[in-house]
Amino acid sequence: MTHAAQFRGVSQVFGDFTAVDDIDLTIPDGKLTTLLGPSGCGKTTSLRMLAGYLAPTHGTISIAGVDSTRTPPEKRDLGMVFQSYALFPHMSVAENVGFGLKMRRVPAAERARRVTESLELVGLAHLSASKPKKLSGGQQQRVALARAIAIRPKLLLLDEPLSNLDARLRIQMRAEIRRIQAETGLAVVLVTHDQDEALEMSDEMVLMKDGRIQQQGAPQEVFPAPANRFVAEFLGYENFLTDPGGELTTIRPEHLWLTVGEQAPSASGGSVVSGVVLDLAYRGVDLLVTVAATDASGARVELLADLRAESAPDLTQGTHVWVHVPATHVVPLTGD
Amino acid sequence: MRTRHPIAASLAVLGYIVMLVPILFVVVTAFTAGSTLRFPPEGFSLRWFEAALTYTPFTSSLVSSLILAVISAVLALALGVPVALAIHRGRLPGKALVEGLFLSPLIVPELVVGLALYQQLMVGFGLDNFQTLLFGHTVLMFPYAVRVTGASLALIDPAVEDAARGLGASAGRTFFSITLPLLRPGLFSAALLSFITSFNNVPLSLLLQSRDFRTLPVVMLDYVQQNYDPIVAAISVLILAATVLVAVIAERTVGFARVFGGINR
Repeated sequence: MTHAAQFRGVSQVFGDFTAVDDIDLTIPDGKLTTLLGPSGCGKTTSLRMLAGYLAPTHGTISIAGVDSTRTPPEKRDLGMVFQSYALFPHMSVAENVGFGLKMRRVPAAERARRVTESLELVGLAHLSASKPKKLSGGQQQRVALARAIAIRPKLLLLDEPLSNLDARLRIQMRAEIRRIQAETGLAVVLVTHDQDEALEMSDEMVLMKDGRIQQQGAPQEVFPAPANRFVAEFLGYENFLTDPGGELTTIRPEHLWLTVGEQAPSASGGSVVSGVVLDLAYRGVDLLVTVAATDASGARVELLADLRAESAPDLTQGTHVWVHVPATHVVPLTGD
Repeated sequence: MRTRHPIAASLAVLGYIVMLVPILFVVVTAFTAGSTLRFPPEGFSLRWFEAALTYTPFTSSLVSSLILAVISAVLALALGVPVALAIHRGRLPGKALVEGLFLSPLIVPELVVGLALYQQLMVGFGLDNFQTLLFGHTVLMFPYAVRVTGASLALIDPAVEDAARGLGASAGRTFFSITLPLLRPGLFSAALLSFITSFNNVPLSLLLQSRDFRTLPVVMLDYVQQNYDPIVAAISVLILAATVLVAVIAERTVGFARVFGGINR
C-alpha cells in the first residue's frame, strides 16, 4: 500500500496546551480517511499541519513520500475545503474554480476546460457565471469542492465540510463526496465530529482524543471492537460494566435482553445481573428500558436495553428484572 | 435602529434638527443680495459665490487644503494598511498594546501635537511648514487608517486567504489578488475619512501655518474675525456641496453602508 501522507512523531504545542501529542499516522492512498473526535481532540490541528498552515512543533510530515514538513501551503498541491467554504466573494464561480489553475499558469483554454469538468463533477456547470453570494450553502460547498479538485491535488482535505448544511443535505452530500472520491480516485482526509458520518463515509477512520490517536482502522473493524471506553462511548456504546473476571466491558443495548421472575435464571452463554427498571421509552418498533443494576464488581451501573416492543415482557417502573448479558456480544475494553 | 423606541426616535429627530438647522441658515444667507450675514436674507443673488470664488486667499488656500488632504490621506493609508495587517493577521505579541498605541494620537490634544511638531520638525530639523503640516496630518489620520482598515480586515474570513495559499498563491499574490480587492471598500472609507479629517482640521493647521501655506479653514477663521459678510457663508455652501457630491459618489460606487459601515456592516 502506498501512502498519500505520513505523520511521524508530530506534535503541536500552543503555549502550555498540547493540541497534538506525538502522533504517528499514515494516510492511505486512494481512500477516504476520517479524523474523528470531539472538539479539541487535535483533528483540525492535524489537518492544518498537513495542509501547511501550521508548522509542527516536533516531528515530520511527508506527502507522497516526500518530506514536506517545511513546505509552504502553496507548494503542497493539496486541495482543501474549509468549514466556511472560503469562496472568494469577489470572483465568479468559474473564477473561483479556476484560481488554482491560474496560479499554476495553465493556459486559458485548458483552464476553461478543466473548470467546466470540475463543475460538471459537482453538478454546477450551469452556475459558472454566478457570484458565490447568490448560491445556497449546499451549492457553495460544491463549488469549494470543485475548486479543490480542479488543481488535481495529491490529497483532498475536507475540514468539517458538512457541518454547515441542514440535516437532509448533509446526508445527501455524504454520498456525493463518496461518489466524487470514487470517480477521482483521490486520497481524501475528512475531519468530523459526527460518528455516523465517519462510519458511513470512511474507508479508514482515525479516532482522536486529547491530541492522541485512540484507534485507527476500517469502520467494520473499529465499530465491533472499540479499543477503549472513550472510543466505545464516542461510537455510541451505552453500557459499561465490569465482568466477573474484573475486566471493563461494553455491550450494545440491542444485545441485552430482560426476563422477569423470582428465581435467578441460569446464565448459560453469558452472565445475568439483577436490576430494577428505572425508565421506559416506547419507540414504536423498539422499547428502550433503563435498568439500575449492580455489576460483578459491586458497582451500581445503569444499563440500557433496546428490546423489540412486541416481544418485550410486561414492564413498569420499579419492576425487578434479570438482565442477560450474552458473552458473544460482550466487548472487552482495555480501560482508559 | 430596527427597534424604534418612541423616546429614542424623538431624540434622534431632535439631534438631526440641532445639527441641520444652523446649516440651513448658513445656506440661506449665502444667497443674500445684501452685504451682511443676516437672517432673513435681503433678496436673492449669487454675488457672494462669485466673490468667494474670485477671492484669492480662499482659492489658493483651498488648493493648499486639497493638496495637503490628498497627500496625507494617501500616506496615512500607505502606513496604516501594513500596520492593520500586522495587528489582524500577524502573530504579533502584545497585539492589544500595539492597537492601543495606534489610538493614542486620537487622545493627545492636537495643540500639544502641533506644538511638539513645531519645536521638533520646524525649529529642530528646519522643515518648512508644508512638510511639517503633512507630517502632522499624516500622524493624525494614521489611527483612523489603521482602525478603519482593521475593522474591514476583521470582516474578511481568514480561511479565504488560506484557501488562496492552498491553491498555489504566494503570500504576496494572495494579498494582491484576494485581500486587497476585498479590502477596497474599507480602504475607500479610510481614505475618505482621512481626507475629511485633514480638510476640516483647524488646531494643527492654525499652529503650523505660514504666510506661504495656509489651509482653507484657517483662512476662513481669519476672515470671519475681521469681516462679517456673506462670502464666508458662500464658501461654506460650496464646501458643503462638494462634500455631498463626494458622499453621493461614494454611495453610487461602493454604497454608503459599506463605506462608513466598514465598522459595523
